[in-house]
Amino acid sequence: MTDTPVVAPPKETTVHPPARRGNPWRPTPRGVALMTSIELRRRRPSTKGYVLYGILFAAVIAICILAAVLSTSDLSSTNLELVLIMVLGVGMLIAPSLSATSINGDSGEGVLAPLQMSHLTAGDIAFGKLIASWLVSVIALLALSPFLIYAFTKSGWHLDELAITLAAILFMVLAFTAVGLAWSAIAARAVASVSLAHLTTGFFAVGTLVLFAVAGTLVTDTKTVTEYYLDWETLTADEQKALDDAYATGDFSALDPADYQCTPQEWTTGLTHTDQIAWLLLANPIVTIGETAPIVDPETWREDGRAAPGAFAQMHSLVAGARLGPQDDEIDYEPYNECDQIFGTAAAEELSPEEQEAQWEADQAEYDAYQQELANLPRAPWLGLAVQAVLLVGSMLIVVRRLRVPYKKLRAGTRVA
Amino acid sequence: MTTTIEASVGVREAIVARGVARSFGSVRAVEDATLTVPAGSVTALIGPNGCGKTTLMLMLSGLLRPHGGDIAIAGHDPKTDAAAVRAAIGWMPDQLGSWDNMTCLQTLTLMGRAYRIPKDAARERGAELLARVHLEEFADRPSRVLSRGQKQRLSLARALVHDPQVLLLDEPANGLDPRSRVELRDLVRELAGEGRAVLISSHVLAELDEMVDDAVFMSKGRTLGDEAATMVAHARTRYRVDALDRDHLLEVLARFGIAAEPSDTGAILTIDSEDRAAEALAWMVNQGVRVHRFGPVGSALEQTYMAMNEERR
Ligand SMILES: Nc1ncnc2c1ncn2[C@@H]1O[C@H](COP(=O)(O)OP(=O)(O)OP(=O)(O)O)[C@@H](O)[C@H]1O
Ligand SMILES: [Mg+2]
Repeated sequence: MTDTPVVAPPKETTVHPPARRGNPWRPTPRGVALMTSIELRRRRPSTKGYVLYGILFAAVIAICILAAVLSTSDLSSTNLELVLIMVLGVGMLIAPSLSATSINGDSGEGVLAPLQMSHLTAGDIAFGKLIASWLVSVIALLALSPFLIYAFTKSGWHLDELAITLAAILFMVLAFTAVGLAWSAIAARAVASVSLAHLTTGFFAVGTLVLFAVAGTLVTDTKTVTEYYLDWETLTADEQKALDDAYATGDFSALDPADYQCTPQEWTTGLTHTDQIAWLLLANPIVTIGETAPIVDPETWREDGRAAPGAFAQMHSLVAGARLGPQDDEIDYEPYNECDQIFGTAAAEELSPEEQEAQWEADQAEYDAYQQELANLPRAPWLGLAVQAVLLVGSMLIVVRRLRVPYKKLRAGTRVA
Repeated sequence: MTTTIEASVGVREAIVARGVARSFGSVRAVEDATLTVPAGSVTALIGPNGCGKTTLMLMLSGLLRPHGGDIAIAGHDPKTDAAAVRAAIGWMPDQLGSWDNMTCLQTLTLMGRAYRIPKDAARERGAELLARVHLEEFADRPSRVLSRGQKQRLSLARALVHDPQVLLLDEPANGLDPRSRVELRDLVRELAGEGRAVLISSHVLAELDEMVDDAVFMSKGRTLGDEAATMVAHARTRYRVDALDRDHLLEVLARFGIAAEPSDTGAILTIDSEDRAAEALAWMVNQGVRVHRFGPVGSALEQTYMAMNEERR
């Protein structure tokens, strides 16, 4: 190097960067595109990376082929649903990992400040980094696509339904990428920002369920009911025998009401108004994804050309149960009175076996109708998607604010550059 | 305040700072910095470690907001027109950072495009700048393989992509080999010759001596104004004369009543101009003094720095 002759370059290209005024921060299409391409080039994997990705992809395809050979031809949506949850899970793991070192890492390496000096605005840098990290996550998720395609062919889902659910998943991955970026703009050190990003993801995936359980105790009405039972102790041996016989035969007419006195017993029972806290469940990303899935009717799925209700359908029913809250028969629960049972209704009319049968059938029908109502309750992904949208917008606001120069305050314990 | 600065600036004063201050928590990094750098000149920023040079440059570059004072860069105020300030500045940070897996040319091209220079022009300019800092053979190699000095030169090229009118160079000579230092010196002079204002910080005072027009000394967050300038001016007038026959030299000087400090090998004279220095040398030789060395006493900046006698932080 040192023996390079000292020669002045013959001429210089004159460049005319546009003049600037004020201190703009908004993202511009050109700036975001340039920043995205810079970030993508920086994250371009090495040859080793490509080989690894290739091996992973081949393994996934091999597993799919194996599954195709071994599997029966029955429709089953559960496989697809598990793959979708896996895609969401992997996305929620890698997206924040990629973005959570993006800003404090760059600043530590000294490559952030030169960009901030350039005509790129804070918005350009923020959104360029967001899109680049997100694209990398999406490309990584593509490795799972053979699973998805294979499971889809046997799921009874329609293509447009899959597209909607996938779009929702990718949107969530975008939101959690933004969350990672925000942490990397706030925390000085990479360890801190990465763990905070994963904690945030964990809070939404698991914390909402825990909160739901805890909040359940707050919306539980306890009420004291008084029930009446025969007091066995006060009966004479004959009376006890007569009662046993009557229970065995179902014929209580021989008993004399005057001999049998019922004594009150108090119980406290709880009634949890889950309808008031079901939104906690709906804010859970996995529930949200489940809520974007098609509705499967437990009665008519065969005629509808669908697979039997799978994981998402079950989750939808559980969540629907929570959304509807306690049913009328639970609320208007009639306290039990053994004496009324023996000497009142039961004595008056006795159910024949046919009537008994009819009664059971009616109960069953009522239960089925309730199950069907749950399964067909309109899907409710909106709350979850709204939460994600708020996370996305809020995070990006933080990131843009933190990237604006001149800095008023620096991240604690860091230097500029 | 702003308007008065801008009005008095005109085109000549590319960097003006008055009473600039900034603290980090309880650390008062810069307390009171005042300096002016005219276009087409090179000013050195000199001071011990931790005296606030980098912090001052960050504020001048529009990356860090001062807590007090006024700044004008090429007539723009960073309080209201931070983007214009940044656009006018080529900043070479003290921290070496480069995009590891991109080539040198790619780095400069992308940086140029970040300044909204069209792709082809940015590429061409990148190649020229690489030639200017003698990195052309590394154009297509990833920047991670560069040595420290080469990275330093790439960083200098990066500061020049958008043809800035003001250059802030934070310890650019750090890690450069002797030849590259000489080249850097020539390059800096050349850049000033093109009408740019250059503010340069360095701890190697001897080499600043030959490239700067002016020097600003800093100590504990304050710029030392006129007294330092006087000291530099004085230091520049001191000449060292070494003669084979020291006693004869001293005797001649004493005979003609010339004030001189005797040194181990000769004497130190105070001569106020280069013309006079030439005359003095001829005169001494005429007097039969066998002068074997004659020149300014070391680095004027170094003498001043040492005389300042300030502590490091
Ligand atoms: N971000 C920061 N947070 C806290 N203190 C800081 C920060 N940046 C600088 N300082 C402190 O401010 C003072 C000035 O630092 P600065 O980097 O400007 O010194 P410098 O003159 O450039 O030193 P050097 O010659 O070693 O480069 C130092 O005491 C430093 O510790
Ligand atoms: Mg410094």
